[in-house]
Amino acid sequence: MASVELQSITKRYGSVEVIRGLNLSVDDGSFTALLGPSGCGKSTLLRMIAGLEEVSDGRALIGGVDVTHEQPAKRRVAMVFQSYALYPHLTVAQNICFSLSLAGVAKSIQKEKGGRVAKLLQLEPLMDRRPAELSGGQRQRVAIGRALVRDPEVFLFDEPLSNLDALLRVQMRLELAKLHNDLGTTMIYVTHDQVEAMTLADKIVVLDGGVISQMGSPLDLYNHPANRFVASFIGSPGMNFLAATVAHAADGLQATFDGGASLRLTPRAAPHFDGTQKVEIGIRPEHVTLSDPGAGQIDGVATVFEQLGNTSYVYVDTALGQIIVETDQSVRLHPGDRLGLTLDPSRAHVFEASGKAWAEQRPQ
Amino acid sequence: MTTVATRSATEMSRPARRFGIGRILLTLLTLIAAAIWFLPIYWAIVTSLRSDADTVREFTLLPSSPTISGYIYGITNSQLPVWYLNSTITSVVITVVAVLVSAMTGYAISQLRFPGRNLLWWTILASFMIPVPALIVNHFVIIADVKLLNTHAGIILPMLLTPVTVIVYKGFFDGLPREYREAAVMDGANPYQLFYRVFLPMNWGVTTAMAIITFIGAWNSFLWPFLVAQNVQMMTVAVGITTVQDAFGVAYGRVLAGAVMASLPVALAYLLFQRRVTQAIALSAGIKG
Repeated sequence: MASVELQSITKRYGSVEVIRGLNLSVDDGSFTALLGPSGCGKSTLLRMIAGLEEVSDGRALIGGVDVTHEQPAKRRVAMVFQSYALYPHLTVAQNICFSLSLAGVAKSIQKEKGGRVAKLLQLEPLMDRRPAELSGGQRQRVAIGRALVRDPEVFLFDEPLSNLDALLRVQMRLELAKLHNDLGTTMIYVTHDQVEAMTLADKIVVLDGGVISQMGSPLDLYNHPANRFVASFIGSPGMNFLAATVAHAADGLQATFDGGASLRLTPRAAPHFDGTQKVEIGIRPEHVTLSDPGAGQIDGVATVFEQLGNTSYVYVDTALGQIIVETDQSVRLHPGDRLGLTLDPSRAHVFEASGKAWAEQRPQ
Repeated sequence: MTTVATRSATEMSRPARRFGIGRILLTLLTLIAAAIWFLPIYWAIVTSLRSDADTVREFTLLPSSPTISGYIYGITNSQLPVWYLNSTITSVVITVVAVLVSAMTGYAISQLRFPGRNLLWWTILASFMIPVPALIVNHFVIIADVKLLNTHAGIILPMLLTPVTVIVYKGFFDGLPREYREAAVMDGANPYQLFYRVFLPMNWGVTTAMAIITFIGAWNSFLWPFLVAQNVQMMTVAVGITTVQDAFGVAYGRVLAGAVMASLPVALAYLLFQRRVTQAIALSAGIKG
């Protein structure tokens, strides 16, 4: 086990800067997810930790040792690739023990270590098969086994579940969580799937355009997004954003939506401004409740009603745009039904024009 | 009912498709083409089993009195075993060295970054602009200058240049996902291990196909060995059989018996590795200049 520390890491391809002076500290034994949309630099960051990409500026430390210019194989890290990258000409056993074989480790030790890994990952009956004869989940386990046999101090995962179907993805997610619990090894996991990040990681680092947008625990990011980007990226379905104008009121702020509806906000802290300010009010689907038309702050018409079994989502067309509402399974609606929507002001988020969030609301 | 009706229609259309007039004509045409292609081979085999008198007397589909005298003459009165040995040595060395060097060159150009990489690649591509016969005189002068005429090395050296194989290998190495290389690097592979333990074995099919086609090409090559191997002891089979004549001119039976024996290894290679040969031809199709 080892911690990972990136100090002012920069990556340039010619004149294009894809990672910009990034600082990140990954605790020893933690499970950290690097989350962000395609092209945000998360895979590049992981590859720099692995040593597969040169660092343009800054330092990378693993277990306190500067490995910025160290060979990948000497960094004591192992990586699981999105495509698994299993050698097609080798059997499962040979794939798992490949690194040991390259290092000239005795066959008996290879067999013993490979056997131990195979037992842990339930690969014993598959040891003589080639990758082409395995299912997606089995290949994934072999790829993990190949990483595991090296006894790495840090595991790096580059979107390892992307090629699996939905059911298998859930199963493998569970197995990865178990593996982390069993091994306690530091794991850094790249994904664009916020559900994977939320369920697996104890710390999520959200990247946007080569910089860290926010990092923290999954619930911290969900409940207290630092900006509009994180608020929109975390959560499914996404947060609702409503254009509004805020002005100081007797006890806090008064947000007035286009069309006249208003919401009383009591933020813990709001920047000083004179008169009014254009903002966006963000509210998650579960913090909007349905009411009779005219009884809530906003009226609208149901357009789509999705029933997921344990919960339902209503897509409501309003004068402010589409608002998604989460309801319980007992609610029955039809497209075209007129509805009133009540927003919970204590769970509303305020984002200024730059996208930065104001401090969250005081409980009422 | 609809399903049943649809199925019946499908079933009825199947035999019609199988025995359609167009299909029958196409099969006949293919058979005729195959017969035309096979006729010279058949004629060579049959003539090799006739006596010379029988050959010139009349044309019959089967020899009236089959004889293997042409074969016996070829084996006992010529240097055929020596030519076989020369062909085997030169073909095997050319195959092993040319394929290995081409694979390494293709790998280097595809996977490694070094100064002059593009220049090397364009030089290999440009080598197609010059037809091989145009180089024969140059090759001959060089080989004569370094005193390699009538040696195995003299036959082998100019035939080691196989840009087609380099291009095929580069194409295959280019097509491999970079994750294989990166996974091996993470596993601690050095550049030699990357090539010998990952990239080369992953392209084993290509290597086999290239080896077979190179071997066949080397075994069948005539012009260069004919020029460089003037001593009868250094001739290859393809060159040697042209000398199986006597004072009365061309003895068809003997020459064709020699030709049959000469082409036997190649024919066997074709039969044994038919699929690989087809693959190799497909791989190099459109590349060969």
